Amino acid sequence: MSLKSRGGPLEGVRVLELTKVWAGPAVGKMFAYLGAEVIRIESEGSLDVTRTFGVDDINNAPGWQSVNPQKLSAQVNMKSEEGIELILDLAKHCDILVENLRPGAISRLGLGYERVREANPGIVYVSMGMWGSEGPLAYQTGYAPCFAALGGVSALVGHEPGSPAGMNTRYSDSSFGASASYAAMVALFHKRRTGVGQFVDVSAVECISTMIGDSIMDYALNGVVQDCVGNHHPEMSPHGVYPARNEEWVSIAVRSDAQWASLAECLGQPGLADDSRFRTLAGRKANEVELDRLVQEWTAGLNAMDVVAKLQKRGIAAAKSQSSLDLIADPHLWMRGFYRDVTDHAGRSKPTLGPSWEMSRAAEASDAAPALGQHNDYVFGEILGLSAEERERLQAAGITR
Amino acid sequence: MTALSGVRVLELADNVAGEYCGKLLADFGAEVIKLEKPGGSATRKLGPFAPGGDDPERSGLFAYLNTNKRSVELDVESESGQGTLARLLDRVDVVIDDHPVGWLASVGLDPETVESKWPALVLCSITHFGAELPEDRVHAEDLTVFHSSGWGYHTPSAPDTSKPPLNAAGRFLPSYEAAMDAALCVVAAVYERHENQLGRFIDISMQQVMTSRCDYVVAQMVAGDMPVGPERTAYDLAGPAGIFPCREGYAYIWMSTPQHWAALREMLDDTAWMDEFPENWLERGCTPERVALCREHVTRWLSTQDKHEVAAAAQQLGLTLVAVNNGRDLQESPQYQFRNFFAEVTHPVQGTALYPTVPYRLSETPARIESPAPLLGQHSSEYLAGGDA
Repeated sequence: MSLKSRGGPLEGVRVLELTKVWAGPAVGKMFAYLGAEVIRIESEGSLDVTRTFGVDDINNAPGWQSVNPQKLSAQVNMKSEEGIELILDLAKHCDILVENLRPGAISRLGLGYERVREANPGIVYVSMGMWGSEGPLAYQTGYAPCFAALGGVSALVGHEPGSPAGMNTRYSDSSFGASASYAAMVALFHKRRTGVGQFVDVSAVECISTMIGDSIMDYALNGVVQDCVGNHHPEMSPHGVYPARNEEWVSIAVRSDAQWASLAECLGQPGLADDSRFRTLAGRKANEVELDRLVQEWTAGLNAMDVVAKLQKRGIAAAKSQSSLDLIADPHLWMRGFYRDVTDHAGRSKPTLGPSWEMSRAAEASDAAPALGQHNDYVFGEILGLSAEERERLQAAGITR
Repeated sequence: MTALSGVRVLELADNVAGEYCGKLLADFGAEVIKLEKPGGSATRKLGPFAPGGDDPERSGLFAYLNTNKRSVELDVESESGQGTLARLLDRVDVVIDDHPVGWLASVGLDPETVESKWPALVLCSITHFGAELPEDRVHAEDLTVFHSSGWGYHTPSAPDTSKPPLNAAGRFLPSYEAAMDAALCVVAAVYERHENQLGRFIDISMQQVMTSRCDYVVAQMVAGDMPVGPERTAYDLAGPAGIFPCREGYAYIWMSTPQHWAALREMLDDTAWMDEFPENWLERGCTPERVALCREHVTRWLSTQDKHEVAAAAQQLGLTLVAVNNGRDLQESPQYQFRNFFAEVTHPVQGTALYPTVPYRLSETPARIESPAPLLGQHSSEYLAGGDA
């Protein structure tokens, strides 16, 4: 039983979300888009910061809406023992529980794995922490850019060696969510085949390290500590982001000597193809400053999209570096239905992001994020079977507010 | 049993995205048969190489991406290869590919044919922009995808705008990211298939995955709730957060609340300059002048500190300050050692090394590296014996 049939590979799966902000909710979002029924537990006394920060109307908070589409919202005060009992009852009707509260907080609430497992031995319990749930540094906390710094990616992003500038501040949370989702999915499959649940302990910092696994291998094999390389690449040259007219930027990556010869023609200097400085990758790498200067001299006089068109025609990888304005106007992302209209709790249509994937027999992705407590009646009445009187009592007592 | 034991995967991929997707499955016990073109996968030609040369068996990239897999050398584009491919397809549950758009159809595996001949097959294709490809995006690399996704233009935060926007960390970040969503969709499809024996076509666009990795921001922009424009700071948050040089290496500091401000005051010897700031300035009075002054003092302070020691002290006080770790720091991290993030793997040519593993610990079905990456064609005879695969 679920409130709404949406099809998709995970139809019939139910996920209980005890999460905050971005990374935890990202897990529920991915499962919701795969067809699962995802119930996010909220309470008036402990609202998610994305519902309140700089926002007047908690039910139309932009940040909240962006990472909670298609979920159900049910209110439980987790500071009451009766509220905890309610969540444990609900866990009996769920396949997955996901939490990303501060280190140790979930256990202090009385909802640690051992207790939830007593209620539902088959549960897949996903715990997300900056460093994972245990270990000498597990007490530490941080935000997304801390995951990026600790996991090793920040050290590799900078214009010159020894000048790390890091990825954009926003990087890491959603990646962490994707990694936790995959682990949860694998555990869910094991549960389907064996009935056995388990504890899934995910580390944000380790997740980020896996985004540069091959760089870490260089240390493992050769003792080489990799550093920032600007926009350069050991196996491709030219490889960079070059200025175009009107303060636009264009990214270009050349993977072969033949492509370099084509690019040299575009530059209006076909002779450069056979220039001993640039003829081979090794030569282009050795003379990369001059090479970049030559490319830049050409791109700077053109619109970014004209550079792209000329290079694509010759089989060379090139793309405009898309600003936020370019990105939300990207016709390809609209065509694919990645940007799509969904219907919110008041029946209004509003664009948001759909799933990152397309698939045949996909789950319908058509609902926006819920209003606070929008699904209390369904969750407590239909799933838990509580009578209207009992639900009224719980609400009056502040347990489901 | 392992979580994915009995799941049979045919990996046609020969780039990082598809191979990493296959690894994510193989490390949970799926049987991943990697078809390599004659001469081997493209990733065998890429570094870092183990000491001793740059031959295909020394690629550390290939070794990392292909743990627990079987290698079969086969030219699927040849006539005999096509027959073998069809026989293998009869025996597997999942196919993973990351060739450019059009290649699957060229070897007879367009989604329609697959659905009619192998209706129970889960076919996952990872491409730069998805199965329907606009003309001006035919040729792409990880760099150009990163810059198509919105991330590139906004990297790094608070940029010096005289310098170009930057690439992602390392060479393949968009590939790794796309692989995670591909693996998620594949196991979800296998989950449903377990009940109804129905296959699926999964179409992963690396651009779309990357853009979705900033969903919190981009969804607000698409909805008209957050301003868009040509600013390279459009994704940024105001404040003095950033990377600062330490005595050796770097530290990252994040400050956004009065509690962070109070903790910083406890860390510093010289706090006179802080008296000019309102206690809640990080939330209510984050002016560029205050940010600049704060950064100046934090720079001076951190330049004399050891990144690991100062981070530990700051964390005790509730100040969000962490080390900027490099490859060596990761291997030496007591936390990584506690969680066994690195695993010793012995490769017949490359020898023994500590490989990074996976970021999740599963109590019942942990991921494991049971065997190193295969040598080229190591399992050909097993799967191609007598031409009867």
